[in-house]
Parts: sequence; C-alpha cells; structure tokens
Amino acid sequence: MTLRSDHIAGGVFVAFGLLVFALSGDLPVGTLSFPGAGMMPKLVAGLVILFGLLLILRANESAPFATVRWEDLPHAARIVAITAAAIALYQTLGFLVTMTLLLFALTFGAERRHPLAAAAFSIGVVALTYLLFAVALKTPLEPGILGF
Amino acid sequence: MGTVENLLLGFSVALQPDVLWYALLGCLVGTIVGVLPGIGPLSGISILLPATFGLDTTKSVVMLAGIYYGSQYGGSTTSILMRIPGEAASVMTCIDGYAMAQKGRAGAALCIAAVGSWIAGTFGVIMLTLIAPPLASFALRFGPPEYTALLVLGLIFLAYMSSTSLPRTLLMACFGLLLGTIGIDNMTGHFRYSFDIAELGDGIGIVPVAIGLFGLGEILSTPSANVISKVIAPKLRQLLPNRREWRQSAMPIARGSVLGFLIGLTPGSAHIISSFLSYAIERRVSKHPEEFGKGAVAGVAGPESANNAASTGAFVPMLALGLPTGPITAVLIAALMIHGVPPGPTLVNEHPNIFWGFVASMYVGNLMLLALNLPLVGIFVNILRIPYAYLYPLVIMFCIIGVYEVSHSIVDVWIMLIMGIIGYGLRKFGFDPAPLVLGLVIAPTLEMSLRQSLIMSNGNWTIFLQRPISLTLLVVCGALLALAALSLIRSRKDWRSRLAEAETGENQ
Repeated sequence: MTLRSDHIAGGVFVAFGLLVFALSGDLPVGTLSFPGAGMMPKLVAGLVILFGLLLILRANESAPFATVRWEDLPHAARIVAITAAAIALYQTLGFLVTMTLLLFALTFGAERRHPLAAAAFSIGVVALTYLLFAVALKTPLEPGILGF
Repeated sequence: MGTVENLLLGFSVALQPDVLWYALLGCLVGTIVGVLPGIGPLSGISILLPATFGLDTTKSVVMLAGIYYGSQYGGSTTSILMRIPGEAASVMTCIDGYAMAQKGRAGAALCIAAVGSWIAGTFGVIMLTLIAPPLASFALRFGPPEYTALLVLGLIFLAYMSSTSLPRTLLMACFGLLLGTIGIDNMTGHFRYSFDIAELGDGIGIVPVAIGLFGLGEILSTPSANVISKVIAPKLRQLLPNRREWRQSAMPIARGSVLGFLIGLTPGSAHIISSFLSYAIERRVSKHPEEFGKGAVAGVAGPESANNAASTGAFVPMLALGLPTGPITAVLIAALMIHGVPPGPTLVNEHPNIFWGFVASMYVGNLMLLALNLPLVGIFVNILRIPYAYLYPLVIMFCIIGVYEVSHSIVDVWIMLIMGIIGYGLRKFGFDPAPLVLGLVIAPTLEMSLRQSLIMSNGNWTIFLQRPISLTLLVVCGALLALAALSLIRSRKDWRSRLAEAETGENQ
C-alpha cells in the first residue's frame, strides 16, 4: 500500500481529537437540560476524529506522501528560528533593538544580502516604523532596555 | 426614517474631512496591500488594527473596510503587469490581463479592471443599502435555536461551496471550533485547556490566528528565490481602452457585479470563488471562447467586477446579522467589538450613525479608488520592484507589531508563530485554512446558543425543529448535505470539483 498525504493528515487529526479527549477528563459534560463546559469540546473532538477517519478512508484520492515537496523547508525553518528568537527577546530588548536585529538577521543571515545593505535597510526601516507608530499614530511601541 | 433619509445621515458622517481622510488612507493602504504579492487584505487589516484603537468606531471601520475593498482593486495591477496574483481573488485576471499586457494593452486592461471594480463595488453598496436594514429587522426575531441553526448552516454552506472536499473543510472548521473553546467557559466558569497560562483564560484571539495562518504561513511557503520581479510598465497615455474594448467589457461587468454580490452573501472565500465562476461563465457565453487565455477583455472585466461585488456583498451578513462569512469580515467584527459596538441587528437600529456612515463611506471610497488607481499606477509599479528578500522581513516585523499591540501579550505573538507553522503544514497537505478562522470566530456564539437552546427546552433536541425559522434553516442544511453526498456516491464531477481543478491548474 502506498502511503498517501491524507493517511498522514487524517492520522494527525485523529490523534489530535484523542488528545483533546484525554485533556478534557476533568471537564463535566453535564446533562442535556444543563450542558456542562465539556460538552462542546468533546462533541467537536468526536467530529474531528470522524472526519480524520474519513480522510484516511478516502486517502487514495490524495497524492502519495513521497511526492509532497519539502525543498522550502530549510528556508522556512530559518525564518521560524529567527522569528522565535525575536519574539523571545522582544519584551526585554524592546522594539528598536529587537526589530533591527530581526531585519538584519533575515536579510543578511537568511537571504545572504550584502551586510552593509542589510544594516542600512534594517536601521532605516525600523526608524521609519518607529516614527510612524510612536509619533504619527500615537501607538507606543515596546520600550525594552532603551526605555523609549 | 426611510432609506434616503438614512443615507443622507450617512453622507453627513462620511463627508466629514477626518472620515474622508481615513477612507482615503484605507483605500491607499488597501491598494498597496493588494498590489504586493504575499500580503493579503487579512494581514493588512490585522496589522493596522492596533493603529485604529485611538480612533472612534466610524473612522476605524471606514479605514479597515477601505483596506479590504481597496485590496480587491490593487490585486489586479500585479496580475496584469507581472502575472502574479497580488491576492487570491486576482488569480483569474492573470490569464487574460497579462496576455493583454503582452499585446501592448496593459493600460486598457488596468482601466477596464478599475472601471469594472468601481461599477461592481458601487452596485454592491446599493444592494447593501437596500438589503441590510430589512434583514437586520428580520434577524431581531432570532433566538438561540435560530442562531444555532444559522451558524450550522453557515458551516455547511462553507463546506459545500469550498473547492476542497467536504470532510477537509469541515475538519478545518471543527479545528477552529476546538480552538474557540479554549479559555474560561462563560456559563460555568471552568478553565478549558489554558494550562495555567493566564493569557489563555480569555481564549485565543482572532488576530494572532489569522495573521499566523495567512501572513506568516504564506511567507514560510514562499521561498524568496521563487519570486521574480519582472514588471511591464504601461504609459499613462495608453490607459484608455478603445471603443471595441469598452463594448466587450460592458456585459461581463454587469454579469460579474450581480454574480459577485450574490456569492458574497454566502460563507466561504466568496471573492475568490466569484472570480473563478465569473471567468467560467464568461468563457461559456462568449461567441469567441478561443480568445480566452490570449487576452480576452471579458476575462479581465468579469472576474475583477465579481470579486469587488463579492467583497461588498460579504458586508451584508456581517452588518445585518453579525455573522462573519470569512476571516476578513471576522477581523472587522473583532474591530467593531474592540470599540464596544456589537455588529448585527442592533448595529443598524441602535448605532445608525456608524452603520449609515460606513455605508456612505463605501460609495465615496469606491470613487476614490477609481481616481487613485489609474493615475498612480506608475507608483504602484515601482513598489512591485522591491525585492521579495527585503519585503518579507518587513511583513514579519509588521505581523509581530500588529499582534503584540492588540493586547500587549507576548503569548499572542507565540500563538501567531505556532499558527504560522500550522499554516505552512496545512498548505503542504492541501488544506484551506479559511474555515479554521471562521470556526474560531463563531465558536463562542455557536456554543452559547446551542447550550441556551437546550436549557430553554429542558434538554429537548426537537426545539430546533419546532420553530419555523430554525426548521427552514436545518432543511437547507440537509439539502446541501444530500447534494454533496449524492455527488460523492455517484463519483461525478460537479461544478465544485471542476472549479477546484481549474484553480489547481491556474496556480501551477
């Protein structure tokens, strides 16, 4: 049997539905005349499992899993890693420092642009955005260590 | 007050200089959002949502709606000049719009797209003016069972209209409904799936999910090496179509306007579906179907009119019933609620200034877009020359600011990143993330109205069949499910599968 993309997708959703059931142990279903907090999540988790199984049963209509293209995965992983680092640092370093580093890391680190061009782009864009939000739109941005 | 008096009240609001300024700003930003590939109207609206917090409700909704319908105008520019759809609804315009550009008729194609969009947009607003108030009055008769049935119908209609399969769409909607149950249960006070994270007590917001799935998810799926910026730049004097081209575009614009508005009323990606259907209809009714794909004027006029009329049609259920028909109207509903104004029947009756001011601003906005799009085409062409390697880091920065500024919660930004990764995965496996956002938005209302209905009836499920409106809505649900099951059993390709095939073909 050829492993198809819907076998994987359906399997993931069935597992997700089961996980929701496992996490809902302490939520009361209640009665029909007074439904509890667990009624809706368990009802919908049941539907997720049902549709996941349907997907597996009809998986022959989907493409073989081996044909799913993953060439863009390393690029996507680099973006995710850089963005995650920026989010982790955002409240500590603040908007100005974090966003300058984020833009520089993406343009120089992920896109291999000339370091001077990447630095000029990062500093210029962050300064303009700061002026737009903090001065023109009066929306204060995260101050962080710089205090403004 | 009659419709004319109400509309005059609306224009007295919409023509105030500051409201006009925000309408212009929204239209301008929307056009740029539509022009730039990789940034959709949803990302644009979500990113600018925090910037509207300091404004009053009318100005903020006028600006955000301007971004939405402005993006439908702007999307055609990239399609015609680069053969890259600026946003999903402009996919069909790529085919004949770019072919016209290669024949030296780029200016005429842009002009026909802009005029068609204006006519369709204005037609949509006229219909909105006439339909929304009586629909809102009718909706005042809705109780919890009717709302439950209406929301279930919305989900099933979305699944039926979707170009992906019924189980896939319903699976996405259920995933969204599950995400919508996170947080404190309003009826019993139970914490659900919050894992001792205080921020999750209020539930998962629409903005981080929408930006993550559509903004970040799109960037993760688009390697910069694959984006080529080759632009055909039309000259200003070449913008006017000739008499033959005007004649050829008249009926497709009329058909696209009516079709787009009707599809816009239904849940799902109406602006995308309407442009595909309009293209198919124009090819079917044309005396020269062989011209399609080689620069047929009707192939530009029809789809461009349809997607604009659909984006206006989507405001009818949003404003009159408080129901989002897609993720964009869901974010607009969130914007209204942030300002303490609930959309739905009470908006029309209790906040006439906001409702009619908004409607009147759309007449003005459509006119502004017509005036903006053609003379400024040269500037938009230059924006398209920004290399994607510089553009997407900018978008990521705005995604982070946009999400963080809504409630100053870093947890929301993490949710955005997680949803971006999920969006990337869903695209790999051929899932459309739009029903997920819709499920998330309607989850609290659906759960509340379902539980209230059961409490009202002392646990009797037949309450949904005893009330005429909910019974009618459930009969329609049954009919749609039966139709979908029939085509599944017969394994016959109906119009939806043909649409999906066309969509896949055009995207390749």
